[in-house]
This record gives sequence, C-alpha cells and structure tokens, in this order.
Amino acid sequence: MTRPTASLLFGTGLCKTYGSTRALEDVSFHIRAGEIVAVMGPSGSGKSTLLQCAAGILAPDSGRIVYDGRDVVAMSDAERSALRRRDFGFVFQFGQLVPELTCLENVALPLRLEGVARRPAEARAAQWMERLEVSDVAGKRPGEASGGQGQRVAIARGLVHHPRVVFADEPTGALDSLNGERVLQLLVRAAVDEGVAVVLVTHETRVAAYAHREIVVRDGRVRDTEQVS
Amino acid sequence: MTRWARDLGLGLRLACSGGRDAWIRTALTAVGVGIGVMMLLAAASLPAMQQARRDRLNARDAAFIANDELTPGPNTMLAKLVDMTVLGIAVRGVLIKPDGPNPPTPPGVSTLPPAGAMVVSPALAELLSSPAGELLKPRLPYRTVGRIDAAGLTGPGEYAFYAGDSRLTDDVAAQGSAVGGARIDHFGVHPPASVLLAPILLLLTLVIVVVLLVPIAIFVGAAIRFGDERRDRRLAAIRLLGADAAMTRRIAAGEALLAAALGVAVGGLLFIAGLPFVDRVGLASLSFFPADVRPGTLYSALIALGVPAAAVAVTQLALRRVIIEPLGVVRRAVATKRRRLWWRILLPIAGAAMLLSAANSTSADGPLIAAGMILTLVGVATLLPWLVQAAVRGLGGGGRLPWQLAVRRLQAHSASSSRVVNGVAVAAAGAIVLQMLLTAATGLSTISTGVDITRTQANAGGTPTAGLDAGAVQSRFAATDGVRGAYVTTNYDGTIGDQTVTVQVADCPTLRAMAGVERCSDGDTFIVSRPRDTETLPYRPGQRLTVGAAHWTLPATTQIVVMNGDELLPGILTTPAGFPRSITAQSSVMAYLSVDPNTPDAADHVRNTAFALGLEPRFLTTTAVSASFQSIQRWLTVAAIVVLLLIGLSLLVSTVEQLSQQRKLLAALVAVGARRSTLSWSVFWQTAIPMALGIALACFAGLGVGALILTVAGQPVRFGWAGVSAILAGAAAVTLLTTALSLPVLWRLLRPEGLRAE
Repeated sequence: MTRPTASLLFGTGLCKTYGSTRALEDVSFHIRAGEIVAVMGPSGSGKSTLLQCAAGILAPDSGRIVYDGRDVVAMSDAERSALRRRDFGFVFQFGQLVPELTCLENVALPLRLEGVARRPAEARAAQWMERLEVSDVAGKRPGEASGGQGQRVAIARGLVHHPRVVFADEPTGALDSLNGERVLQLLVRAAVDEGVAVVLVTHETRVAAYAHREIVVRDGRVRDTEQVS
Repeated sequence: MTRWARDLGLGLRLACSGGRDAWIRTALTAVGVGIGVMMLLAAASLPAMQQARRDRLNARDAAFIANDELTPGPNTMLAKLVDMTVLGIAVRGVLIKPDGPNPPTPPGVSTLPPAGAMVVSPALAELLSSPAGELLKPRLPYRTVGRIDAAGLTGPGEYAFYAGDSRLTDDVAAQGSAVGGARIDHFGVHPPASVLLAPILLLLTLVIVVVLLVPIAIFVGAAIRFGDERRDRRLAAIRLLGADAAMTRRIAAGEALLAAALGVAVGGLLFIAGLPFVDRVGLASLSFFPADVRPGTLYSALIALGVPAAAVAVTQLALRRVIIEPLGVVRRAVATKRRRLWWRILLPIAGAAMLLSAANSTSADGPLIAAGMILTLVGVATLLPWLVQAAVRGLGGGGRLPWQLAVRRLQAHSASSSRVVNGVAVAAAGAIVLQMLLTAATGLSTISTGVDITRTQANAGGTPTAGLDAGAVQSRFAATDGVRGAYVTTNYDGTIGDQTVTVQVADCPTLRAMAGVERCSDGDTFIVSRPRDTETLPYRPGQRLTVGAAHWTLPATTQIVVMNGDELLPGILTTPAGFPRSITAQSSVMAYLSVDPNTPDAADHVRNTAFALGLEPRFLTTTAVSASFQSIQRWLTVAAIVVLLLIGLSLLVSTVEQLSQQRKLLAALVAVGARRSTLSWSVFWQTAIPMALGIALACFAGLGVGALILTVAGQPVRFGWAGVSAILAGAAAVTLLTTALSLPVLWRLLRPEGLRAE
C-alpha cells in the first residue's frame, strides 16, 4: 500500500450540538491523500456527525475544516455543494440510491449532476459497475437488487467521478458478514487503485483492518488516533 | 367486537399519543379534512341560501298589477317600482304614497318614510356617501331618514330604497304593470308552486353541483392520506410486537377515524368562524346574510357521519397497496405491475351509455343525466392514473437530468402524482362541459330584441314635467354629456275604427333621421309601416282618426314609408304644420338618443336628464338574457372561484406531502452535490407531466360529455374553443402557481441535515 503523506483534509476544534446534546466537542482530525481512515466508536458517539462535518454536509458550531488549503466552513452553500459534487464521493449505510432510477442511472448521477451528457456518463458508469461486479443489475432498479449489490452500486456511484475523498458511513452496516467483507474489499481496492482517500465510519472492529489508521470517537470527543498497519 | 373496539381504541391512542410526528400528522389531516368539511357545509348551505333569498324576494314583493277592486282606504297605498342603474350597479327602488293612516309596511322597514324622504339599504347609504353616489343623487331627491334592515333585502350588498313621493297619482294604479306600479294593501306575494328551469338550465345547474363536489371529495381523500408512510412504519413496529394484518388495518382505521372526527370538528369550527365574514364577501350582485348560510340538519348529519366513514374506507383502500410486515413496510410494486384499464374505462363508458340512453328517450331524464355526468367525470379520476402510467412508460429516461429524475419517479410512483392532478382534471372536464352548456344556453336564453342600435342606443319617454315641450326636451338631452344626437317626437294616442294608432309629430330632420323619409317638408304626413305589414295596413290616406275628442282626416297626400329601423313605433308620422291645431289631447314625448360609448358615465348622465324631465329612460340592446340564466351565471362564478381555491390548496398540500416523504432521499442528493435548480425542475416536471396528461384527458372527456348532453337537450353541438382554452389556461396556472408555492418547502428540505438519523 502507498503510504499517505501531506494532509488533504483536516479539522480543528470542531464542536457541534443538537439541542442539548453535544455531538462533537473540540474534535480535531486530519486525512492525508490516498489514506484510508476508519472512524470508530459506538452508536451515538458522534462519528456520523464528524463525517458529515468533514464532508461539508453539516456546518460545525465552531472550529475549522480545511480541504486542500480551502476553508470549508467559510464556503458558501453553492461552493460546498460543488466541492461535494466534484471532489468528494459518498457511500451511505443504506446506499441512499434513488429508487426510481436504474442502477446504471444511479451510478451515472454524479456525472450527470456535473453536466456530463447522458451517454458518456452512462458509459463511464457501466465501466465502474463492471469493475465492482454489478453489471448484471445495471438495468434494474435498486429495489430489485440484493443488499450487497446495492452497496456495490453505491460504491460505484461514489467513485465514478474520480473524487479525492470518499466518505463511507457504515457501508456494511446493513449487510451480512460475507457480503460486508466483499463490499469492503472492493471499496478499498478501488480507492487504493484510484489514489482516493477513504473516511470509513463504522462501529465494527473488523472493518478497521482495512484502514491505515483509526480515529476513535467517544461521547463527541476523539479519544485516540492510532496506526493500524 | 371487543377486539374491534380495542384495536380501534389503540389506533385512536396512537394518533394522539404517538409523539410529535403523530400529532403533526393528525393535525395536518384534521386541517385538510376540516377545509373539505367546511366546503361541504358551505355547499350544503346553498339550497337554504337560495331559499332564504327567494323568501325575502317574495315577502317584499307586491302584486304590481291594476286592481280595480282595491279602492283607496286607510290601509292602502300607491307603490311604484323605480329600479335604476348607476355605474352598472342595479338599484331597486319603490316610490310610495299612503292613501290613509295605516298603510302596509314592507319587510325590513320599521316606519314608512314620509313624502320627500327615503329609507335606504346599508349598501346604498354607503354608495350615496361615496364619490360615485354623486351620479345617483340627482335621481334620488329625497332625504335619508332610515335604513332597511336584513328582512327587506336579498343580501347585505343589495342597493335598495323606499321613498315617499307625493307626485304619485291614481294613474299608477290604473296603469298597473304597464308602469310597474299599483295600489296595494299588503306586501308579499304567493309564488308559483315551483319555478321550473328549462331542461338545459337544469342540466347546467347539475353540472355545477357535480363539478363543485367532486374536487371536494378528492381533496378530502388526499387529506386523509397525509403522512401515511410514517403511519405504515408505525404499524410495522406494532406487527413486530405481535399484531396480525387484520389488527393493523383496524388500528389504522382507528387512527383515520380520530383524524377525520377532528377534521369534522375543525371544519365545523371553520364554518362557524367564517359565518360572520360571509356578508363581507360579495360577488357580482350576489351577497348573503350569515343567518342564511345554514347547511340543514340532514346534510350536516350526512357530512358528520359520511366523512369519517369515507376516511376509514380510503385508509383501507390505501392499505391494499401496502404489505405491513414485522420487519418493515413493502409497497406493492405498482410500477412493474400495469394498471388495469378495464374497470377504469367502465365508469366513463357507463356514464356515456346513460347519457346516450337519455338522449334517445323522449323526455330529459334528470337523475339519469346527473348519474351519467357524475360517472363520466369520476371516470376521468379513475382513468388518469392509468393514462399517466401508460404515457410515462413510453417517455424513456432520456433528456436532461431533471426530466430523467421526474420521469423515473413517475414511472415508479405515478399514483401520488396522479392524485395531485385528479382534482384539476375533474374540475377542468366539468368546466369544459359547463362552457359548452353555457354556450348553448346563451343561445337559448338570449332573446333577440330585434332592435337596430346603429343610430340611437337609448330612448326616454313619458309625459314631461309640466311646461316642457318636445323642443325643450330635445335641447336638454342635446346638452347632456355623452349625447351625440337627440331626436324627439310628440306622441298622441288615436283610433281608427277599433284600431289604436300612435300619431307621432316631429320635424323633418327627425323624420329623415329616424324613419328614413327622403323628401319631407313641414306639413307632410306619412304612414309608417314595418316591411311585413305594408300590405295589411289598417289605415290609409283619407281615413278619419279620432284623437282625444277631436277628429282628423288623413290627407290624400299622405305617403306610405317603410321604416328602415325599429326605433319608431309604426303608425302615423306628421310634421308640426301637418298636425291639426284643433287637437288638444294629452300627449307624451319620446326622445331617441345617440349615446357616445366613449364618454365616461354617459348612461348615468342620460338617466339623470331623463329623471329631471320626468321621463323613463331605456337603453337598447340587441339581445336580452333570461333572468334564470343570469342567476346560473352568477352561481357559476361563485362555484368556479371556490373550486379553483380548493384545487390550489389540494395541489399545494399534496405536493408538500410528497416532498416530505422524500426528505431523506432529497438530503442524500444534496449531500452528493445536487443543485437546488436541478431538483426544483424535477419537482416541476413531476407535476407538469401528469397535469398535461390530466388536462388532455379532461379535454377529451369534457368535450365528449358536453356533446352528449347537448344532444340530450336537442341542441346543436358547438365547441367554444376560446372558453375551453381559458379554462385550460386557468387550470394550468393554478398548477404552476401551487408548484411555485411548494418550492420554498422543497428548498427547506434540501438541507443535508436531513441525512441525520440518530
């Protein structure tokens, strides 16, 4: 595996509360280009909030997030949307695929959002589906594919536009262990091949085995960061 | 039974104790159902409102016909209707002159006004105190001494007065209906047993009722399904705890019952709360007193029981498409399963068959036609989901991303979008039917008056105020604002044998202008005839006329002219020098007036001059529309506004509801960087595509039903395309407007925070 070097994305002093609940409290992190980082912690510890803040989905109450030298918190909504569209990819626990679109159209969606015409977008999407071994469900709707196939479609969607960081929130949480292993293998291999950094939110320790590094979150605080390999 | 009660009770408890979400859902449904119930109560009040209006009209009316048996007495009076118009507003006036100390008092008037005074309705009082009242004051030279209260008015917006006028003479009683007056000893008439509407007008009324009620039913149906996804998830959780499928249905029924019962209560409260404001809402010449807006016990009971029953039925029907399992909710894959056409097409076919059968029967069968129309219009609602599904299946997923997202969503979930536009489609179809019937009814209810208005557009006749002759009348009218030309004749009533004849005396310029006489010099006499009467004229040159007590032999030189216009009465025309000076009989004058349509308020200036001269003005039109038809047109305006408001609300609420159901997906799309404009356009297309299909179907059904009904009524089928286009544009505008209003909600939902599940 290629070892990561300089920080591509980092956050310092992040705080976020929901009503009276403190989800993040003075959290700092950094992600290097091409690095695979597992964000670990029990349910409700604040790891998903950390991911969403890091990805520019949620704005922290305080603190700073910098991506490639740019202050994400200071960006306008449109700039953050463009950043997520171009530089970031996402894989959610339940895929969050658009149920009405076919799997192929779902994979092509990030490209279509960027203005790529339908045919070239779907051609590139088809390549990614082949790479993730889900070509057979290309014409089906997500509801007609199995859970494992759906997550692989979601991974293809998260990587099709060549992002620099993929945020994966419990990508195997809804899968059985066999399918989960397979999905993780495919995600990590594709990310490494493409040189994409992956932020992997999970509460499963076995998932951490695929990461270069772990960030452990408990009660809204980062307890420790350790090298896995 | 106990189990039923227990499950229904659990549903009721879940609806009110299921936390904030459950309350919001129950409240939304209650408000939606409440609005529908309010509309139903308002619709149910229409018969009572119409009856109250009719009762008031009858109670204040009087038999304005000559009544020789009624002699002046202590309890009689002379009364004369003097309806007038100012700025296009109709004002009802009655002049009165008591014969004795105990004259009858009209409803709404506590004390009769003395001579020179009047009592007025509140609306007229307001008008008189406004700048516009200045145009009316010259015709109402009475001081105001009181008000007419509700009992004497058809509505709070009616303009009316009773004025004491000592100038009324016994002639009023003698001439009776000819001058709109009579000697009376009471107010109030016994109306005919029933006023039968012409068959086509009856059909028109039926269509209005159907077009009004169907969208309300659709709206209530949509309101009952608010938030049903969340309810289904809740039911799945209950299944996990051991409830079977039948129990979940009963629990769902309990939830629906509570929401609908609350809706009935909300609707009742909204209805009661709105009553005080009813008198502030006036449309055209229609206005209503709050006390008249009574839905009646039977209708109220039907609504109070029917709406909750319908709520349970709709819920059970909706649950047919959902399989609630302990581990979640599965919606039947309607996208992959084609909707069946056969039962959907049965309704419009049955409706058309009923209409055709009515067309073939010898007499118009009201219930059959009404049932046929209802089935066909409801058929539009049942056909639309099939049509939308079939059409979007063929659209493919090409095109720009918003289009693709919309088409794909419609392919998967066309039912909800179809529901959204069903109301529009039914209303538009009904409106097209109405438009066609109105076009036909206009032809039937508009009577050609046969009047040529190219030269003069108004006249004013009668016996002028003492001391004024034709010349003075002519000068006064000529000096009136907006009068381009005035021609005045002095008229005498004469007889030839047992034939009555009018002798009209005027100068040559008038005769040339009004009768088309080419050669005329003072002293000439003419017999004027309508073209069809020329051969059968009862009077000829040389015949002797009796005018009053004098006699006059028509000169041998009398020419017969065929009148080239309809303004003048046929009879004898003569110039001043040709008319014997020995005749001193009572005369009247008739002024023929050319009115400039571009002069503001010209008509009111003419009316004021006529009033000052003691003449009765009349404005000529080429057509006259029957009173029943005008009444239907007024009701139609009210119904159209109500339905448009309801459809707009229905669309808005349904669209917002659909968007809320997609909250998580929308948040995920935003998370991956989707633009707001992309999703906004997608929402627009999701509404616009079914709407376009709905309108197309509405056109087809509306024109078809309209053609059938016209055939039933034995009328030629004519399509009023301009009207149809206007209705379609209106329906489209309502949809576009409500889509625009739903965008703020969409944008609020397009926040990535929606992803947060913990």
